Amino acid sequence: MLASVLTKTIRDRWLGYVIGGGTLALLLLMGMAVYQDIDISFYNELPDAYRSLVGIPENADIGGLAYGAIYASYGALTLAGLGISAGSAAVAREERFGTLGILLGNPRSRTHIVASKAASMVLLTTLGAGILWGGGLLAPMVLGVDVGGVDVGALVIHMFFNTLFYGFLAMAIGAWTGKTVLASGATVAVMVVSFIAAGLLPLVSGYEDVARAFPWYYFQSGEPIINGVSWADMVVLGAGIAVFAGVALVGVNRRDLRNQAVGVTLIDRLRANPMTRNVFDRLAGSTRVSRVWVKTASEQQGLLVVTAGVMLSMGLLIGPMYSLLDEPLIDLADQFPETMLALFGGGDMSTPEGFYQVETYGLMAPIAVMVATIAIGARALAGEEAAHTMDLLLTNPIRRSVVVLEKAAALVLHGAAVGVGIFIGVALGATLGGLDMSVSNIAATSTLAPLIGILFGALALAVSAATGRIKAAVWIPAGLALVFHVMNALLSINAGIAGWAKLSPFYYYLGSDPLLNGMPWGHAALLVALSAGLIAGSVVLFERRDVRQTG
Amino acid sequence: MADPAIKTEKLTKHYGDVKALVDLDLSIEPGEIFGFLGPNGAGKTTMIRTILDLIRPSSGRAWILGLDTHEQSVEIRRHIGYVPGDLALYPSLTGRDTLTYFANLRGGVDWDYVDELAGRLDADLSKKVGDLSSGNRQKVGLIQAFMNRPRVLIMDEPSSGLDPLVQREFQAMMREVAAEGRTVFLSSHTLSEVQRVADRVGIIRHGVLIAVEGVASLRSKAIRTVSLFFEGPVESSVFEAIPGVRDVVVEDHHVTMSFDGQMEMLLKAATERHHLVDIATDEADLEEIFLTYYRDGAG
Repeated sequence: MLASVLTKTIRDRWLGYVIGGGTLALLLLMGMAVYQDIDISFYNELPDAYRSLVGIPENADIGGLAYGAIYASYGALTLAGLGISAGSAAVAREERFGTLGILLGNPRSRTHIVASKAASMVLLTTLGAGILWGGGLLAPMVLGVDVGGVDVGALVIHMFFNTLFYGFLAMAIGAWTGKTVLASGATVAVMVVSFIAAGLLPLVSGYEDVARAFPWYYFQSGEPIINGVSWADMVVLGAGIAVFAGVALVGVNRRDLRNQAVGVTLIDRLRANPMTRNVFDRLAGSTRVSRVWVKTASEQQGLLVVTAGVMLSMGLLIGPMYSLLDEPLIDLADQFPETMLALFGGGDMSTPEGFYQVETYGLMAPIAVMVATIAIGARALAGEEAAHTMDLLLTNPIRRSVVVLEKAAALVLHGAAVGVGIFIGVALGATLGGLDMSVSNIAATSTLAPLIGILFGALALAVSAATGRIKAAVWIPAGLALVFHVMNALLSINAGIAGWAKLSPFYYYLGSDPLLNGMPWGHAALLVALSAGLIAGSVVLFERRDVRQTG
Repeated sequence: MADPAIKTEKLTKHYGDVKALVDLDLSIEPGEIFGFLGPNGAGKTTMIRTILDLIRPSSGRAWILGLDTHEQSVEIRRHIGYVPGDLALYPSLTGRDTLTYFANLRGGVDWDYVDELAGRLDADLSKKVGDLSSGNRQKVGLIQAFMNRPRVLIMDEPSSGLDPLVQREFQAMMREVAAEGRTVFLSSHTLSEVQRVADRVGIIRHGVLIAVEGVASLRSKAIRTVSLFFEGPVESSVFEAIPGVRDVVVEDHHVTMSFDGQMEMLLKAATERHHLVDIATDEADLEEIFLTYYRDGAG
């Protein structure tokens, strides 16, 4: 075992797990405190679709509700996200930075290195799961809530296997191809699709067993909070982990290592082909480098295609899915308590609008836009500094403010493009499902989603401008987004403190139920103003400081 | 009289307690090739990044072509070409895309001249930069600095990775720039490169400019290391008496020394009573020159 590779990888990444785990533990505490104050009887009337999507087991009490709401959805997604980040970087990122070659210059085989990376991922996941476990035990003690019958340990064990499943999948793709973006993008897509499918398919009669094809099913179907660890499901996930580890080993051993991350893309082939050379030379060559913003926008195109594509296909599927759902679900319409509407930025699941709000707009749409905008915002300045290209860029006769503004323009453009994907997906999905939804309201909500995403992208840009550090510029906005999202969802439930939800930007996203009520112009203007303020701040911050030569 | 191409006044940069640059006063005239010499970490790059407004001085000021490096930095950048020390370009762009990008930021470029430069340096502009070796990538960096015919060329270790033939061509290009009345500021840690092209040399160490000299006078201080190999054992006393010999070390058949005297005398002494097998001389490295400066009290 290469102990130094192991410890270095852990040293590089432990903070993310501590912050992620700590934040979730805090949110759990907050969630329990809020649930404690309200009548949760409404919860017994929740439709299955909602419960199963957010991972709340049937007949749960306050504890089950809080663990289900915070840990089984946000927690599992966050921890898996950290796993994907570590897994996709394991081989491919070291390759891209040329450090894999240096590692292999030592008397160690590729297999050794992959094994060390795998071990570090297991240890990091143990750390994250351990923090969640500790937080899960501590929260009810602090609040004096009785959570008898709730097995938080079992849930955490499920999260552990679930995280490693996606982490190793990302590592396998990265090791096989040497492409970080492909590894993380494809794995996130698999995770999101399976998260949705595992939640919904069991509710559609005739399709219950199809859910077994999606890995998320094995994480949640056993309802570990109540039933304890479902070892049969863990064996399935464990087998997947073993297969991916094997694929990673074979993948990295079988191929030539890449020197730098310059793949031959489709556009390169089209440029090389005499038939298409003229058009694509202009497109990929001279157009791409015509301005700073065009170049910036062209750089994350892979990520944009993934995020916009996932959202488009999700929007497209949810409509027909709704029309397939069992009738009794629709009948529940009138029994829904008011508090339900606010939970998770969610809506009344019995209406197509509410269904779309929970399934597409509530969580996935802002995440998709943020993935695109934070990627650009964080890399825009700090990325060029880390790559050492900023010095050369800034010695051209162009103001720093222009560089920041053009990078911001690329960020806005990508956010808007994901928004267009959401709009087309939902509008087509609603038509396919024969749902009677207002297209202009879909357009309004699909405009608000990029606005909230751009806001956190602009925050990433501001952190990037202030510090020049990519990691800070990714994790600070991502962490704040999580906190604000949960804060908005939890505070809205409790009428007594609902006013505080207005402190969260997410209130201005779905707080006015735009799918039903149309565009809240005031809220949209506020989101735009906040983003503009952050971008202006970025200009000032970047003008003032020394350009860094490291990330 | 025209403004100096580059002028600094008490230019100082601190990073916390670390003094990267201390009270640097320098004036470089138009048409000059100025060599900026110092070991790694001496402050060469800090000085360059400060006058390019990438980092801001803790105190002091600097001007390029009479323009304040902070207040008028955008105007300055219309007239300069820059090659960073650790040149990094965008790996997914081809050489030509890269040059187009910078040309667009500058409002255009004379492509005939670009092709001429590419021909002289034997650069392949059709490949992606990420697929190029570091030397070939360096050529793209040099072309982007030269292509707008800047009035001031600022280059930080520009010949790293270049093979000797290309280095020679590059040196010719620098001389042509100077002959046209334009200015070259060349930072380097190799004395030989600077000696070949520069008119004057500034020597920096620990952030302090310890000397500015004409190349000719520097050369006179340039002691060299001489290694002599004999058939049988020799004694150090044979050489210590010769003027210009210092630091004699004898290891059995092998003698090394620092030498800045007349070679004829040394050879005479070496061959008089012993059988000389081989002789090797190395140019003194910078560290030795610095020692000379300290020893001579010039620092």
